[in-house]
Amino acid sequence: MIEFRNVSLQYNSGAAAVHDLNFTVPDGAFVAIIGANGAGKTTAAKLMRGLLKPTSGEVLIDGAATTSLRTSELAKRIGFLFQNPDRQLCKPTVREELAFGLELLGVPDAEVKPRVDAVLEDFRFDPERSPFALSRGERQRLALASLIAVEPKTLILDEPTTGLDYRECMAVLGRVKALHEAGTTVVMVCHDMELVLDFAERVLVFSAGQLLLDGETRKVFRDTETLPKASVLPPQITRLSERLADVLPPADTVEEMEAAIRGRKGEKA
Amino acid sequence: MTGFLDYVPGSSVLHRLDPLTKLVLSLGICVAAFVSDDLIFLLVLIALDILLGVLGGVFQKALRLLSGLLKLSVFLFLLQVLFVRSGTVLFELGILKITLDGLFVGARLVLRLTAATLPLQLLLSVTQLSDLSGVLVQRLFVPYKYAFTLTTAIRFIPVFAAEMSGIIEAQTARGVEFDTKNPVKKIGLILPLCVPLLISSVGKIHESAAAAELRGFTLRTRESQSKRYVFVPADYAFLIFTVLLIAAGILF
Repeated sequence: MIEFRNVSLQYNSGAAAVHDLNFTVPDGAFVAIIGANGAGKTTAAKLMRGLLKPTSGEVLIDGAATTSLRTSELAKRIGFLFQNPDRQLCKPTVREELAFGLELLGVPDAEVKPRVDAVLEDFRFDPERSPFALSRGERQRLALASLIAVEPKTLILDEPTTGLDYRECMAVLGRVKALHEAGTTVVMVCHDMELVLDFAERVLVFSAGQLLLDGETRKVFRDTETLPKASVLPPQITRLSERLADVLPPADTVEEMEAAIRGRKGEKA
Repeated sequence: MTGFLDYVPGSSVLHRLDPLTKLVLSLGICVAAFVSDDLIFLLVLIALDILLGVLGGVFQKALRLLSGLLKLSVFLFLLQVLFVRSGTVLFELGILKITLDGLFVGARLVLRLTAATLPLQLLLSVTQLSDLSGVLVQRLFVPYKYAFTLTTAIRFIPVFAAEMSGIIEAQTARGVEFDTKNPVKKIGLILPLCVPLLISSVGKIHESAAAAELRGFTLRTRESQSKRYVFVPADYAFLIFTVLLIAAGILF
């Protein structure tokens, strides 16, 4: 479980990056963090991972403050996927890249090979290829695979689909969804509201370093009064449903909308 | 907060000087630092650097660089003191020998390094890179592509530094313990990161080159420049001062 208790972070210049954050991410949740650029989303994600230390308050991982945990201990518990996979990849072959995280955590050699082989088979990578010769989408999948090899309890994804086409995007998020269904806690910073609606169970809306809204995804996207304050536009299907609220029941997916329209047609007939 | 090589906008005496004057003054201080062996003169040069920092309104930045140089200086000073074995022996214990020459050589090296490094930072803090390349092309007849290469190299230093910080952060997230106290172990951890840095740097440079070509980089000539640089009396005063400084360096 991740817990933010009165967390604030100030830059050296004195400007506040995030201010007085209080929220909890329980085990097994799929939470999305949304908001405009500069709202403090990535800062909050980095605070969760212990990459940034709060100026005041504390971030607790399973009850232990991130400031008291060693880097390797945090890496065991939390995997962090960056927007730019090239910063994570540093080994000459895919196999070595996948083994690197395990070696860092002191996993015995005899255990490393089968775990790497399992991930290789799962992701269907050529083990001898150079990570830098892969496409952008493949590099993002490799960065994710190297995190999965470590089997962390929690995954934090910082805009994981930026620059990916639909197929690559679904390949990454499909894998994340499967992990979540297997019990992994997922926290995803995302600008794509359609993806947030499709995948996240809960949404945290940030604005100017503060937590503006926290709630179930569908409810948050229907809060048309608060969302504009965070410069967030709900997904098209939600907006369409809002506009047709006087004639159709609420719908948040294409299937629900289709069913609502067909149901209304049936009524008329 | 600005990086230590970033331009700081302002209207100080140094900001208003011709870029060529600032370039000559910086190089002049470096030359004076290298031709003089006198410790007092080198200290005067460092004081002059700090005074120029005050004049240019970048005193804090100069102090930050000085504190950064301090760590390197201590390391270099110790190396000289431990390895220079000629001269009057001041202290001896087994193979450890500290001599007067060692202390002098160490102090000279450290002071020279400090005196010669600060002017470069001061120059870049009070001069826009476009003005620097402009004056090189207009006054010194340096072909634009070479002037552009020089200023781009300087411009990319903070970019690469930020990229390296990002890579270190990403590797920390994977469990690499960069906070080790052992410097040898730390270097061993950082060295492999040069691969992703190199790859991303080459990519960035390719993109910049393509963008420059698309904007007509190859069509640019010396006459393409709209800004003209003119010397004012203050420029002549600083140039005369630079000549006197080098002469003093030779004398002392």
